[in-house]
Amino acid sequence: MTAYILNLLVLISVYAILSTTLNFIIGYAGIFSLAHAVFFGIGGYTAALVAMNVTPEFFVAVPVAMGAAAVTSLLLALPALRVRGEYFVAASLGLQVLAVTLFSEWKSFTGGIGGVIGIPAVELFGYPVYKPWQFLLMSLICLATIIVITRTLVHTSFGRSLKALRDSESAALASGKNITVIKTLSVVLSSSLAAAAGALYAFYMSFINVESFMLDTSVLVMAMVIIGGTATILGPLLGAALLMLIPSALTYLSFLPQTEIGSIQQMVYGMAMVLLMIFRPGGIVSSHPGGSK
Amino acid sequence: MSTQLNIAQETAKPVPGSGFIGSTDDQDVLLEISNLSKNFGGLQAINDVSLNLRAGIITTLVGPNGAGKTTLFNMITGHIPPTEGNVHWQGESVIGKAPWKIARQGIARTFQDLRLFTHMTVEENILTVMEPGSWLWQPGGKSRKARRYDKVSQILERTGLTDKRHTRALDLAYAERKFLSLARIMATDSRLWLLDEPASGLDPNSYNLFLRLLREEVKEGITVCIIEHNLDIVVNISDRIAFLDQGKLLADGEPETILNDPALAAIYFGER
Repeated sequence: MTAYILNLLVLISVYAILSTTLNFIIGYAGIFSLAHAVFFGIGGYTAALVAMNVTPEFFVAVPVAMGAAAVTSLLLALPALRVRGEYFVAASLGLQVLAVTLFSEWKSFTGGIGGVIGIPAVELFGYPVYKPWQFLLMSLICLATIIVITRTLVHTSFGRSLKALRDSESAALASGKNITVIKTLSVVLSSSLAAAAGALYAFYMSFINVESFMLDTSVLVMAMVIIGGTATILGPLLGAALLMLIPSALTYLSFLPQTEIGSIQQMVYGMAMVLLMIFRPGGIVSSHPGGSK
Repeated sequence: MSTQLNIAQETAKPVPGSGFIGSTDDQDVLLEISNLSKNFGGLQAINDVSLNLRAGIITTLVGPNGAGKTTLFNMITGHIPPTEGNVHWQGESVIGKAPWKIARQGIARTFQDLRLFTHMTVEENILTVMEPGSWLWQPGGKSRKARRYDKVSQILERTGLTDKRHTRALDLAYAERKFLSLARIMATDSRLWLLDEPASGLDPNSYNLFLRLLREEVKEGITVCIIEHNLDIVVNISDRIAFLDQGKLLADGEPETILNDPALAAIYFGER
């Protein structure tokens, strides 16, 4: 039972990193990306590759994974510079589909459909981290660090610039904001921090394949942000916890047919989204129920 | 009796215009618009307009709806490219430059629909336009940061928004939003302000405050170009008037000349 709870908590913290980093661009920059799982995947595959071929040292594998995602994220930044709103959602969807194909076919990097197996335990200054509670502690420290980074950024001039272009891109331009730099930086930051979650996930599971980095994951993380509350610190955390706990909670309801739990879970997600958008569009954690920003 | 724009004599305040004394023709040209045209498909929104904005005065752009006034602002500030023609700011062409670069060169603007940063507080709205750096930090360190906050306080005081400092722009009353739009432009170091209907819908007290602020700023060396429909405002504030109709500049001169022209009045009131 303890192992089960620890496992759940580790996964919640990994997904909380993903939702926090996605919230950084959705909530503060108004960039709605459906490609967040791509950077989760790039982080996972890169960290696995480094761990298996170079060193499983955390302070090597994770920065390399973040660097790889930062470079790749420029592909996402390009459409973000040219289009907004629903057009960018479509462009990011295209990138997600493209990445899934690459993850499935680029066997030397991703192991293809079969994935990467036998990823060694992550090491911290040479000490392997293999016990679940140790890993939980490490992932919670990563989550806390990422929360501090994003929270600090949104309260600086950079954060104000992000919010300005979210609220009115033309007014931001007329105020002298170089939105090319601002958008690119925000996408690069968000993607590279998401890659840290991917690295943690790869080390924790010791096996990864494309199934974890598909469109479903991008949609799930976006749902975490929207349900929890955009442009808030607590919202994405709560959203991640809630959406990770729902499937577990459903398995305890003995009157539900266990073989249909997956479908029921999808229905619960869908219903929760519809009801929230009607009654609390700003998300659960929202100081302004009409729409939190 | 034929309609004339000479309401000036009926409604003028004791000191019309910005307070500028002398001939506006003698003022230096700050912004030079040369043979500017803009086509939207088959529609010619601006047709071969040449106009000079002169330093230290208020120039008002008047004309019926659809005359091309806002389009002209959009081209000056780089938001839309012209089909033909050029715009020189202090002798240097701004055509082809990004709007943010033009803004940093000293041309600031407001929008008819305000375009405030609605989910940010009043303080943040003003502060953000004073932070030119787009990277993760601002140059100048703590002392410059303190100066920025001081300037925000002064602007809030002058625009009567001190009590609303931590209120979201979205939650402001209409007149307060108008003043926030003005406060945002006051926070810039721009030398030329392009104001798109800044006083429309203001109550008399707010209107008087607006006039006072504008006159104070012009006295400090700001050059202003205003798009305005309200003739009372036009009469009260203009040092010079440019009249646009159907994308063409029909007249440009001193207020008395323009306001007393029956032909322009007929166009303005749709009697043509």
